[in-house]
Amino acid sequence: MSGPEVSAAVSADGCGAPAGGAARPADVGNQAVVEGRVTRGGEAVPVGYARLLNEGGDFVAEVPLGTDGGFRFFAAPGSWTVRVLAPGGVNTDRPVIAQTGQVAAVEVSV
Amino acid sequence: MSRPDVLVDADWVEAHQNDPGVAIVEVDEDTSAYDTGHIANAIKIDWKKDLQDPVRRDFVDQAGFEALLSERGISNDDTVILYGGNNNWFAAYAYWYFRLYGHQNVKLLDGGRKKWELDSRELVKEVPDRPKTSYTAQEQDASIRALRDEVVAAIGKRNLVDVRSPDEFSGRLLAPAHLPQEQAQRGGHIPTAKNVPWSKAANDNGTFRSDDELRALYGDEAGLDFAKDTIAYCRIGERSAHTWFVLHELLDQPNVKNYDGSWTEYGSLVGVPIEIGDGQ
Repeated sequence: MSGPEVSAAVSADGCGAPAGGAARPADVGNQAVVEGRVTRGGEAVPVGYARLLNEGGDFVAEVPLGTDGGFRFFAAPGSWTVRVLAPGGVNTDRPVIAQTGQVAAVEVSV
Repeated sequence: MSRPDVLVDADWVEAHQNDPGVAIVEVDEDTSAYDTGHIANAIKIDWKKDLQDPVRRDFVDQAGFEALLSERGISNDDTVILYGGNNNWFAAYAYWYFRLYGHQNVKLLDGGRKKWELDSRELVKEVPDRPKTSYTAQEQDASIRALRDEVVAAIGKRNLVDVRSPDEFSGRLLAPAHLPQEQAQRGGHIPTAKNVPWSKAANDNGTFRSDDELRALYGDEAGLDFAKDTIAYCRIGERSAHTWFVLHELLDQPNVKNYDGSWTEYGSLVGVPIEIGDGQ
């Protein structure tokens, strides 16, 4: 897969989360990427949030979903949970394992 | 101060968004969200272009802040309601910044843009036209901003609160996990700092937790000594502005400062002590 569409509007000295997550470098290199899309009935969910939780269930990061329902995180290797929040009270968790140099894909249907 | 002095909810905004004397401001690092839809009558402030000096790493000066607010049509008497994405990080930073330059009547929309979106409230594209004003700012209030020498001197003496995620605190990550990991600085935290991630102060929907929950979080769980002065920091100072807001505005702690240089400065300083691992 080519991965979700993302905003490139993030800078080295910034800290915010662009919708969909920061762009994935051409070479994943030493990053442990977690990414995916949120859909409802096969259609993208463009309004909502993806949260990354650590093994203890603690919050680590959050991005607003992209216009295609996409999200991306740059995690450390290990077990994580992606939590999706969306209008209508959607609150859905998906487990994922991240590995250095790999892209872990998480598709979430709500 | 009590919550009604510093926070409003979405119902309040919907009831007052057309009132004269109310200025609603969306603040973000990436303002493209504003352009795709914002609360009716809200103007935007770009955290980077509007609030940071374009050359030096510092704020715009007093005259620059006066020019910005005058141009955006905000007057000294306006009630300024700030909100934004990223769980109000940049809105909380702007709140701290407005206070730094002496604007007293400023409040945060609890839950920010996220709760507004999750509640499916109205967002519009129309940009309001506010007549220009002649805004007068005060000199910076040094009692709420910490600079690096003060931070180094505070090690082991004051409360230092590192509000980054546990992985950033320990040195395993150098940036939040929604960003590629950078390599230009050392990982870890300021010795003696307690790690209380900003996110523990917020509910999933971005609203602040109750005063009782917050007091228990920083006191009983994290072991902050409320009798001591406190400095909060993160990576660039906006997540710690969120925690500054909690400690100084919601919990009424005196002498709380935000260290806006934060880890991107401290982790690059030559010769300062750094602790790695999960801390004490």
